[in-house]
Amino acid sequence: MTFLDVRDLSVHAGTTAVVRDVSLRLEESQTYTLLGETGSGKSLLAQAIMGNLPAGLRPSGSITVFGESSTADETVKRRRLWGHSMALLPQEPWLALDPTMRVLSQVAETYQRVRRPSESRESARKRATGDFLTLGLEGAERKLPGALSGGMAQRTAFAAVRSGGARLLIVDEPTKGLDAGLRDSIVSMLKQVAANDGAVLTITHDVAAARSLGGTIGVMLDGEIVEQGPAAQVLAEPRHDYTRRLLAADPQTWGPRTQPPPLGPVLAANGLSKRFGHHQLFANLDIEIAADERFAVIGPSGSGKTTLGGMLLGLVPPDSGSVWRRSDVPAWKFQKLYQDPIAAFAPRASLRTSLRDVVSRHNLGWKEVEKWLDRTRLRASLLDRLPDQVSSGELQRIALVRVLLLRPVLLVADEPTSRLDPITQQETIELLAECLVDAGCALVLVTHDPAIAGSLASRVLTLNPPSPPAP
Amino acid sequence: MTTSSAFKPMTRWQWAGLAILALTALFSLVAPVVGGDPLVQDLDHVMVKPSAASPLGTDHLGRSMLARLGHAARLSLLLAALSVLTAAIPGVVLGVAAAWRSRWTDTMLSTIADGVLALPGLLLIVLLTAFAPGRFWPFYVGLSLALWVEYFRVVRASAQSLLRGPQVEASRLLGFGPAYIVRRHLLPELFPLLRTLMTFGAATSVLSLAALGLVGVGLRPPTPELGTMMIELLPHYQEAPWLIAEPILILLFAVTGLALVAGEREFR
Repeated sequence: MTFLDVRDLSVHAGTTAVVRDVSLRLEESQTYTLLGETGSGKSLLAQAIMGNLPAGLRPSGSITVFGESSTADETVKRRRLWGHSMALLPQEPWLALDPTMRVLSQVAETYQRVRRPSESRESARKRATGDFLTLGLEGAERKLPGALSGGMAQRTAFAAVRSGGARLLIVDEPTKGLDAGLRDSIVSMLKQVAANDGAVLTITHDVAAARSLGGTIGVMLDGEIVEQGPAAQVLAEPRHDYTRRLLAADPQTWGPRTQPPPLGPVLAANGLSKRFGHHQLFANLDIEIAADERFAVIGPSGSGKTTLGGMLLGLVPPDSGSVWRRSDVPAWKFQKLYQDPIAAFAPRASLRTSLRDVVSRHNLGWKEVEKWLDRTRLRASLLDRLPDQVSSGELQRIALVRVLLLRPVLLVADEPTSRLDPITQQETIELLAECLVDAGCALVLVTHDPAIAGSLASRVLTLNPPSPPAP
Repeated sequence: MTTSSAFKPMTRWQWAGLAILALTALFSLVAPVVGGDPLVQDLDHVMVKPSAASPLGTDHLGRSMLARLGHAARLSLLLAALSVLTAAIPGVVLGVAAAWRSRWTDTMLSTIADGVLALPGLLLIVLLTAFAPGRFWPFYVGLSLALWVEYFRVVRASAQSLLRGPQVEASRLLGFGPAYIVRRHLLPELFPLLRTLMTFGAATSVLSLAALGLVGVGLRPPTPELGTMMIELLPHYQEAPWLIAEPILILLFAVTGLALVAGEREFR
């Protein structure tokens, strides 16, 4: 049975088409993966299929769901199917959870109110409890979404979406910012949906996720599907030039870089330990980082990588041990890049203002800014925007410019590219590496991706998953 | 793209509120000048209907309603402005201090705030009026003492999460000091919250003064004040309903104007 048949779907913003003539079919028990970079129109396509495009965007074309066809703008018809027949797992699922309601109740509520036929209160709670067990969420039932880790929130949102009983599932960037372990578990959950008489349309920029999902792959570029076919074929013998670039940008295919010879130490840590609640994150770590060195810390989520990075900068106090930082340079020579660059800028000040503040605080010239903007291939006109009006890739480069202005001796980069698509990620990492050489700055890279760490760093420290509390 | 404003522009309703408020303020400035002495009685002309000679009529003692309402509105708005400012400034400063400084400072300030909060605001004012019956200052001091806690709690909560967030951490690493962090990170985020709190605080002040006047523990007659005027004119409701309607309308204008300026909650 054909679950979803999309014909010539376009999305128009005013007179320009942001999605152009997309056709795709999804049969029962199949998966379809839309692969493409940030801003290629993937999410808009999903919203057009669901029928919840933002105001101002106009869809055209036809969409057939479970044999019932409608034109793209007849959203009311498809809206009736929401929850119990077709469902969307949105990006950033923790934003889709109710922050004031315990998570088990949120899942049980869907069994009770959305599923057809609906479940009684008791059986809804029982089934929700069962879901929590199979998804490895036991113990989290009574928590509020704010107390969950990213991966747990992701699985909770998945449980809530699944409990509606929808057989057609549309998933938007399910693996964004997750480490390999969590990514695999999400992918296997999605495959299970397809195996149980469902069908899954996944939107992602994650080549590894697309590879393990299998099924059909459509590659999207500037609102068009430029290549479409079985996953194995598209990934092994890409025909379109863009697909080849996308696959080449996958960190697993990068070669190692040549490393500069090490100089004197810029930072040394002795016997660092940190506990978080009952979990010992790490104990007795000794780290010495030479000027110009590139050092990476890797480990699964929750292993204390970010905490360790903060500790090296003196932002987080260690439980025991000490950190020595070169004392002949000012404290602001030690800098940090953030995983989510937008969180690191004052949201109501234009980027130009934020950069000008740094220039005047440290008596630099605006020429310095222009030099680094040039170096990072950024247009100066971007600076007139607010932080949320530029893309994550651009903002991360502006953040890089901001720290490089100070000519730092050490930069801690905390997952600087985990939220970027592969091509932007590769460009950003390249730039980071080049600029650090220019600035003569040491790097501590915190990442979950061993491939990036291996390619960029000369030494890698692997943190283990947090040890369970001693019995 | 040109520089876009970081703040949400005022909505039509907010402009309407501002206009109502401006008209009320204009009335409180002009009416006392035009209407003459609010205390002079003229027992030959009591409860005169509005006319060219006395635009809002006269009350049961023949006093000019225009002058009395003008003075009453001026008193209410002045009290609102004063008590909001004296509550907001220490509230914001202490809130930032509690979020910024050591745990000890925070605990101490929060305990004091909780103590004040446990005492109902109106009760505090009534207690203070016992020291100086019929005087103006107990209202001002009482309202300010009751209102600063709101500013303190809201500012402390938002400043705490901002100060622990990455944007402030990044600025500290970049070498910026406390003044910059307050100016660039805290104030822009706090302004929308403060605007709402201040307009609602002003409305509370206006209403409290009138409510206490109405139940007879506020300012004493013959001082023109909205609440006392209402209770004075209530017995004459049958003969002259327009008289009691006038202070009520002024109160309605002031409070509606303030509520509209506060605007809708900002969803982000």
